[in-house]
Amino acid sequence: MIRPVARVRIFFGTMAGQIFLILTLGMSVAAIIALLVAEQARHHDFERVRRARVVASAVDIADRLEHDPARIEAMMANHRIVGAAMAPDGVALSETDGELEKTLAARFGKGSAPEAGQVPTGLCFPSRGNKERAAGVLDAPRPDCWVVRFTDARGARRAMALSFPRLAKPPSTIFNPLYLLVIIVASAGLAILVARFVSKPLRRLERAAEAFSLSLDPEEIPERGPEEVRAALSTFNLMQRRARAGFAERTQLLAAISHDLQTPLTRMRLRLELVENEELRDRLLADHQAMQTLVREGLDLASSTESREEWSVIDIDSLLASMAEDAEDLGAPVRFVSGCGGTVRVKPNALTRCIANLVDNAVKYGGGAEISCARAGGRLMIYVRDYGPGIPADQIDQMFEPFTRGASSQPGGRHGTGIGLTIARSLAMSFEASVRLRNAQDGGVIATVDMKG
Amino acid sequence: MVDSSLGRPATVLVVDDDADIRDLIVGQLHQENYRLLAASSLGELRQILRDEVVDLIVLDLNLPDGDGLLLCRELRAEGAEVQIIMVTARSSAIDRVLGLELGADDYLTKPFEPRELLVRIRNLLRRGRSERAARTPTMRYAHFGPWRLDLQQRRLVAPDDSLVMLSSAEFRLLCRFIEEPNVVLSRETLVPERRATAAFDRSIDLQVSRLRQKLATAPGGDELILTVRGEGYVLASGVAHS
Repeated sequence: MIRPVARVRIFFGTMAGQIFLILTLGMSVAAIIALLVAEQARHHDFERVRRARVVASAVDIADRLEHDPARIEAMMANHRIVGAAMAPDGVALSETDGELEKTLAARFGKGSAPEAGQVPTGLCFPSRGNKERAAGVLDAPRPDCWVVRFTDARGARRAMALSFPRLAKPPSTIFNPLYLLVIIVASAGLAILVARFVSKPLRRLERAAEAFSLSLDPEEIPERGPEEVRAALSTFNLMQRRARAGFAERTQLLAAISHDLQTPLTRMRLRLELVENEELRDRLLADHQAMQTLVREGLDLASSTESREEWSVIDIDSLLASMAEDAEDLGAPVRFVSGCGGTVRVKPNALTRCIANLVDNAVKYGGGAEISCARAGGRLMIYVRDYGPGIPADQIDQMFEPFTRGASSQPGGRHGTGIGLTIARSLAMSFEASVRLRNAQDGGVIATVDMKG
Repeated sequence: MVDSSLGRPATVLVVDDDADIRDLIVGQLHQENYRLLAASSLGELRQILRDEVVDLIVLDLNLPDGDGLLLCRELRAEGAEVQIIMVTARSSAIDRVLGLELGADDYLTKPFEPRELLVRIRNLLRRGRSERAARTPTMRYAHFGPWRLDLQQRRLVAPDDSLVMLSSAEFRLLCRFIEEPNVVLSRETLVPERRATAAFDRSIDLQVSRLRQKLATAPGGDELILTVRGEGYVLASGVAHS
């Protein structure tokens, strides 16, 4: 079980995690900014409505004053007009409303020099003393009070106090935690969908690449999905086909050469019978034998990359035990140390050849072999180990290259063709396994065949 | 060499499209007092078979005018009794199996030891006609109890088609049991070829017990090889071939 912190770190290290993070944060921020803009617009509209009321009222009173100034003035003075009164003298407008003044100037014409501003409510209702007479309205919203002054067409400066029912702006809701939570959760949900959508084709590609690294003959990936993904998959398939074709060509060449060498070798072998000089004949026979081994291994290597063999389920311990027995029967010190039970799906002949090559090497370079088997995490490992001198650390990777042999100073070094391990690895690939070599801590080499178990 | 069963020198036909190899093989066989014929193509081979009585053909598989495998099948389909040793540069196990299934009596891959060819020819001719008449078409599987023994790939097939591998010694042992099922076999008869190699120094009982362990892995496979005290072992099951 990985610690939660580490898991979170791993998740945000993945592409899905990063997309998730970016989208969740980005979409939340974008949504909040959009809401702030909307809030600003709402505020603006609210102010506009308030001003429009003042303008409508002021224009109305100005109209009446123009028609019948004396009567209206009297009515205003006596508070006979609802919502409009004479403005008290000497009120200084500390905060004039520029927007409102511009609108009024447009309505009253040039030279009206309007002044307007909101003033404390008390100025509209100068101590009428009726507060005590109202029950339960002490806290009721008190009207807004505006003072508008302008010069009318006759040149008289008018001043009026206009009152309106209070227009309260409802409080903003965007900083309500519940709303924020809804936004973030929705963003996260969408982010997860997108992250999955984007990383899915990549995962497919990754799996395909992995299959290709294990086997030269994997199935092509179906080219589905959005256009870019299809293009990537199709390019990958093309690469896979090219690599396979190149490899097949190399193999065919090797096979053809090896195959054609068999005829002259056969002739040579038959002719060797005619050589009278015994010593010369023995030497030539040894040379012939060496060439023949090379040809045979070349053919083996060529055929090892073709996986014509059928997959079968085998009892793995029976295979390892019988190989050890057969080797022992031929006098090689090979032991089957521990099995892992159960069955495994492989190409049996390829697996047998692969292990036989590893055992041959162990016997040749290490003087003997121990075969064992273990299962771990859905994998099955077959170990072939020896107790020989081991391989110098800097050469261990080269051992799989064709025609690489152990140092001539080693027992068994510089004999053989040097393609045993190449064949073993190539056979292992044919049943989707891999072969690794490492030096054991207490001496000797451990060869591991790692396959799906 | 005058074959006792024939009463005349055996006739051996060497078929190979490579003139050198053909001549060299013929040269080798001269030491053995066979009547020797040579052909370089399927056409020549058929011509000779029409004109002569041939006891054995050394047949190369890749011929300019056809495949030796097909000829082999043809000859067997016609009921020809001639013995055939296939010699080919191909070396995959499939060719070997196919060659033997199509009716070849033996199979050699190039390049071969000349002496080995001589020995195989001699052995085949010695087996003679009578034995060959009884030659059954090559069987692939022997069925016993819940198991099938794959005689060509030398492995056991369980009822669920999974494979159990056998060592060479176990395979030989099991083949002996299958040749004579329900017959008590002594330790000596079980290992007739008791060679002076390390292979048979191990006790026969150990081998039988290993074989039993393997057979017991399939349900109903645990009572197949029984011990008969003081006498030996018996395969307690009928055997059918397919």
